[in-house]
Amino acid sequence: MSVKTEVDLSGVKKSNGVWLVKVPKYLSQQWDKAKERGEVGKITIGKKHGKTEVRFCLNEELTALGDVGEKDASLKVPRDHPFTMHAVGGQTMAAFSQSDTDGISLEGMVVHRAECRPVVNDNYMKLQFEESEESTKPQRVSQQLERAVTTIFKPVANHDFNLEHDKKKKSEGKMVRAERQVVLDMLFSAFEKHQYYNIKDLVDITKQPVTYLKDIMREIGTYNSKGTHKSTWELKAEYRHYQSAEEEEEMQTA
Amino acid sequence: MATRNHSPGGPMFTVDYINKRDNDVGYVYYPEAEKPTTMTSLGSSTSSGTEYTVRVPKNTSKKYNIMAFNSGDKVNCSAWTQARMERDMSARRIYGEEESQDGAAGSEFGKKQREEARRKKYGIVTREFKVEDQPWILKVNGKAGKRFKGQKKGGVTENASYYIFTQCPDGAFEAFPVHGWYNFTPLAKHRTLTAEEAEEEWGRRNKVVNHFSIMLQRRFREQERGPDDEDEGEKSGKKKKKGGGRGGDLRIHDLEEDLEMSSDDSDSSMGDDGESKAKAKKDKGKGKGKKKKKKGGEHEALEDSDDGDYEGLEVDYMSDESSSDEEPEKGQPSKAEEHPKGIDEASESEEESEEEKPNEEETKEEEEEEEGKKTPVQAEKKKKKDSSGESESSDDSDIEGETASALFMKKRTPPKRGGGRGSAGSSRTGSRPGTPSIDSAATSNTLRAAASKLEQGKRPTPGPGTDSPAAKRLKMEPSSQSPAPSGKSTPQPPSGKSTPSSSDVQLTEEAVRRYLIRKPMTTKDLLKKFQTKRTGLSSEQTVNVLAQILKRLNPERKNVNDKMHFYLTE
Repeated sequence: MSVKTEVDLSGVKKSNGVWLVKVPKYLSQQWDKAKERGEVGKITIGKKHGKTEVRFCLNEELTALGDVGEKDASLKVPRDHPFTMHAVGGQTMAAFSQSDTDGISLEGMVVHRAECRPVVNDNYMKLQFEESEESTKPQRVSQQLERAVTTIFKPVANHDFNLEHDKKKKSEGKMVRAERQVVLDMLFSAFEKHQYYNIKDLVDITKQPVTYLKDIMREIGTYNSKGTHKSTWELKAEYRHYQSAEEEEEMQTA
Repeated sequence: MATRNHSPGGPMFTVDYINKRDNDVGYVYYPEAEKPTTMTSLGSSTSSGTEYTVRVPKNTSKKYNIMAFNSGDKVNCSAWTQARMERDMSARRIYGEEESQDGAAGSEFGKKQREEARRKKYGIVTREFKVEDQPWILKVNGKAGKRFKGQKKGGVTENASYYIFTQCPDGAFEAFPVHGWYNFTPLAKHRTLTAEEAEEEWGRRNKVVNHFSIMLQRRFREQERGPDDEDEGEKSGKKKKKGGGRGGDLRIHDLEEDLEMSSDDSDSSMGDDGESKAKAKKDKGKGKGKKKKKKGGEHEALEDSDDGDYEGLEVDYMSDESSSDEEPEKGQPSKAEEHPKGIDEASESEEESEEEKPNEEETKEEEEEEEGKKTPVQAEKKKKKDSSGESESSDDSDIEGETASALFMKKRTPPKRGGGRGSAGSSRTGSRPGTPSIDSAATSNTLRAAASKLEQGKRPTPGPGTDSPAAKRLKMEPSSQSPAPSGKSTPQPPSGKSTPSSSDVQLTEEAVRRYLIRKPMTTKDLLKKFQTKRTGLSSEQTVNVLAQILKRLNPERKNVNDKMHFYLTE
């Protein structure tokens, strides 16, 4: 379990009340574009016809849909947003914050819930329409090509690959048998790292021809044909001395 | 504006009062409340409303989340004195399949890459263990306080964003986006039953009167298993003393006619429960006559199904350990059941008891000796006989098995099945003319029915001393008789289970001896002689059997051409 964090309860102690406001996506996107100071708009709380009314008015500069600064003549995000307030009925909610430096602290209790609604007018409807259109566009589009693709032929064998392979073979040459002791040393050091090896991997490591390598392996190791480590080679019991994960020694016999 | 309000019949007043009626927009002035309480009492502002700027701070390192409780839990956060919160990482071991460490014994070269390649090939997508999505564990007011588990609610930030508006001292609002929503539910501190236990208890609900004892039992059980693990071990100990109720090893058994509550049943683990026994008995008395049967300890997970108790009487496969345990128990109900059936009771019960003993011995012996194919079949059939307890089932059971096994019991150096058959055959043929009229076999076609009938008839006649050989012969009789009428000349019964009898080369001690006398041979040579195709044994069996034969013969050894040769001198 991770380190237990002591929760800073100062927020609730002071009876900080907070509002939980649900804000539409486009509005939050606009808010993200706000300047450094972070001012996004104004809230007015008034009493109209006896009922409390809260409205939010978005700053002028943030109404443009494009990047800030552009004066887009096209659709603009509505500015007026009345808030619909609810009381917190069925749920007791609190807001807690988590920070990398300060740990967890309880910021306050939620006293009101609100939903930020735009004033529904033509502008808004157009905006939503465009939004929905965009979301229905498929992400992958099929295009028609003017000219047929001629670069990819059906190869019998992959020419490039083959050429490369041949070149590699030529440059490396055949695998030469090294001294037996040298090979043994290589093998033992390899088996220090892992217990089970495939013959192909051993060939890769030691760069010895397969028959020679098998010969040596038959002397010092066994072949697992069944079980979990299928078709792998491992050292014989007398040659290996695996202890814990950290320590690994091997006994070599001449 | 003031209006005149005429109340009819009353004094006339001219009252100036503040009009609160809805359609009038009056100037209402309330004293300006302190700023921080604007949030709670929204009515405290001027008519056109007070304006507050809203800021969305950009650079907070803090991530805001919502902690939601159910109102029914009556959580009052301000009443908390202390709280601790941490992530619940218990899901990590399910998700993170951390294999053995690299470089340790048991690791393979390139295992990880291979595993990855394999996963890609099959398109297995494993979900990562994200710490962010793990539930929270909230502990309030220290150890004795409440505990809550907060699970993340999904889909909160998908379509709409939530913001937390707090009011700053300067009157402006600050809005912080909500990153996650966690629903906190209280965790039960009292003990609960697991799903299996709950199902068990559900099955017993009609029979259990004292529901309070259920949890006591559970605690008791836990205490038995690991008192050091439980922090409430002491509590449970005390509770146990108070009135332990039924022990964990009492089970409800439905064979009511067979079982009686015996007072000496509960002498196992429940030490000091003289009074608990009494209490339990009282409970039992109260109940609808529910009976309990003690099973010694918890060695097996036994089902408590009501219907299944009769099923245990005829069991195909039973392991050795359980058979010894189950037998007395099953023997009882089976015996009790047989009484109403009453078919050839005396002879059969005798038969059974006799056969049980040799069968058990044989089982052990057979398991020591390598019998090859026969053994599992024989063992199975024998055990079936044990537990079935009905000789009617001998219709199905193989008399063959018994006969052969009876044979083997006597002959300690058995020339294995094939050889056994050979010698049995010879003995059979020898004794065949000696058998008097056994014609009842002719009445039934099946080998086994005949065998059983004959056994029944012949049972009383052979004396105890000659029982086995005679019985053996008799048992051979029916097996040989029925093929005889059917026109088979070979003494070998057409069981079809064992080896083809027409092989020339049998892996017998005699054969090996012959070879070794003739000339020294290596083990390889010997194996070549007894080819698997001809003896019908598998290579492993051949090896084992040969090894045993060689042990017995104890031949002399000679090293020729660097190879170990065996030979015998007569």
